[in-house]
Amino acid sequence: MLQFVFYIPLIVGIAVLFLPAKIGRVALFSTAVIHAMFTALEWFKLSGPLHTSYFSNTPEGMLVLAILSFLFLFISLYTVFYMGEVEMSKEPVFNGSMLLFLSAMSMVAIADHIIMLWVAVEATTLMSAPLIFVHRSKASLEATWKYVLICSVGIALALLGCFFVIFSMEMSNIHVPISFSSLNTVASQLDPVWLKAGFIFFVIGFGTKMGLAPMHTWLPDAHSEAPSPASALLSGALLNCAFLAVYRCHQLMFTAGLGDYSSKVLIAFGLASMLVSAVFILNQTDYKRMLAYSSIENMGIIAVGIGIGGLAAFGAMLHMIHHSLVKSSLFLSAGNILLGYGTKTIDKTGSMLRLLPKTGLTFFAGFAGISGFPPFGLFVSELLIILGAIKAGRYVAIGIFIFSLILIFAGASKLVMQMVFSEKENDDILVPEKWTRALPPILLLLTSLALVIWLPDSIYQTIQNAISSIGGTVNG
Amino acid sequence: MIHISNIFLAMILLSVLLSLRSNRLMALVKLMAFQGIVVSAVPMVLDTAHGLTFNLIMFFILLVLVKGILIPGMMSVAVNKVVASREIEPIIGYHASLFAGLIMIVFSVYITNQLNLASLAASHKLLLVTGITTMGAGLILLMARRKAITQVIGYLMMENGIYLIGTALAKEVHTQYVVEFAVLLDLLVAVLVMGIVLNDINHTFDDVDTALLGQLKD
Repeated sequence: MLQFVFYIPLIVGIAVLFLPAKIGRVALFSTAVIHAMFTALEWFKLSGPLHTSYFSNTPEGMLVLAILSFLFLFISLYTVFYMGEVEMSKEPVFNGSMLLFLSAMSMVAIADHIIMLWVAVEATTLMSAPLIFVHRSKASLEATWKYVLICSVGIALALLGCFFVIFSMEMSNIHVPISFSSLNTVASQLDPVWLKAGFIFFVIGFGTKMGLAPMHTWLPDAHSEAPSPASALLSGALLNCAFLAVYRCHQLMFTAGLGDYSSKVLIAFGLASMLVSAVFILNQTDYKRMLAYSSIENMGIIAVGIGIGGLAAFGAMLHMIHHSLVKSSLFLSAGNILLGYGTKTIDKTGSMLRLLPKTGLTFFAGFAGISGFPPFGLFVSELLIILGAIKAGRYVAIGIFIFSLILIFAGASKLVMQMVFSEKENDDILVPEKWTRALPPILLLLTSLALVIWLPDSIYQTIQNAISSIGGTVNG
Repeated sequence: MIHISNIFLAMILLSVLLSLRSNRLMALVKLMAFQGIVVSAVPMVLDTAHGLTFNLIMFFILLVLVKGILIPGMMSVAVNKVVASREIEPIIGYHASLFAGLIMIVFSVYITNQLNLASLAASHKLLLVTGITTMGAGLILLMARRKAITQVIGYLMMENGIYLIGTALAKEVHTQYVVEFAVLLDLLVAVLVMGIVLNDINHTFDDVDTALLGQLKD
């Protein structure tokens, strides 16, 4: 039953490629509903995987799958109305690729076999390339080329990492299936040198996909050139999937007693990503690129949180949930802004509260959320990471962490203030905003708010189970 | 005694060095076809305990079809469409690239000696050296050239190197096919997508120079 979460979007996605665009839109949303139902079945453990050697429902995987399924529900709803108002010559390709992309990401979330995980991440690159390329402009061509080339090299290095992990098993003459669950049972006997080498290649390879600096260069281009629903999916769901692959290997390292080493690597990459995005966000002229750099920052925050462990690991998992909700809401709002003003340049926008009041509200609220202001969840998660780091005595790391947060807030707030409050010379609006397109971003933001006020017990338990193997706990 | 596999490895190294020196796109594609066929044949000539099994031969045929015929064929179609068939103004010059390739060989011998690999046979160690060199040279090619086709060729070479490393490390039968399967899939997926994009780059700009792709930056 577990495999249905990727079989169904796969089959529907292929069908949609050949069907008329109108049917494709209906299929997109109905598949999202069915996917959410199957995810709910899995979440409440009402059914299990069919072939346990390849797939399993681990707590961290279920967390990623649940976020993905929830986001896709709203993003597909948005896409249905968005498509009604934009000219897209190859709409069936776009709708079909969205579903195939969903299928590949679901497969990442439930994969247990190392090679299966790798195949699934590879598939996400393949399925999302048409989404970025769909406008067929020179800029989107460039973005797609960078995306495909850089991510393919990254994935190839990750394959090498897989070989090293497998070899660390063969070096010590152990014979178990090469899945993470069975490797975890024999972790202490694995050859440490090869396991470390494997982890490095895992982080470099899948970290490329996750947007960790210095392998992040494809990310701003791809996120800014893709149509907004695709950017929301790339930023809210794909980055989590890549993080999941890194996290799986980090768990293996921890069980093998090499947790210190892998934690240091993650903290270093995380802080580098935060600093890089802090520097590049300062002088942005394009608001979608600004959001893309903010994604790099948040992935860095998650990596740092997981690396520090303890209370911070709980914060990192919480951060992943809230970042996905808030960031995809922001990208959907950015889609509305792009439709309204017809440009991605910050200087040419303005007076948003007067011209596009609903979008202006969601965009500004989303910005408050992503910068970690109290009513939203990122405040809680960043606070937990900082507290966890102070408890663990990582003063230097947390100093850099807070410094980057301040820089990013300073840089981004100037741009967002300009977009929302500054006066625009003329009041030309290309496509007036509608409730149908404003509602999905609002609902995503409200979900983030609701999860701060009341975190359901099953989510709390799942996070606890997911981080218990790396020594993470809410009680510090 | 000179084992036959050593001749194959020497041919691979030669093709790696030649491709670093070459500036004609067509010659590069032909070199890649040659390298692809030799690389696919390596598992057959290694002294395996099981001899030639049916699976081994099947995978050889499959790999030759993909690496030796399908992908080079696609690449040569792309090259024929391009007006300028030479690499112009590489980012790193040909002599420098060649020198970097030679240093890469020394470096991979050093790495292989540093690794704790007492359990590997001598022929596997040489295979590892060749693999690391090929991978490194592929990365150099990827970074040092401006034409999109040359970058894809660099990626292919890197993939060949990873395949050789995987073959060198995989002792057990069950993991060996994992290596073949994974590399084959990687190649098909990446190169097919790259091929499509390449075609579009050529179509849009009348050239495949990635220096033309310079709009998006910070």
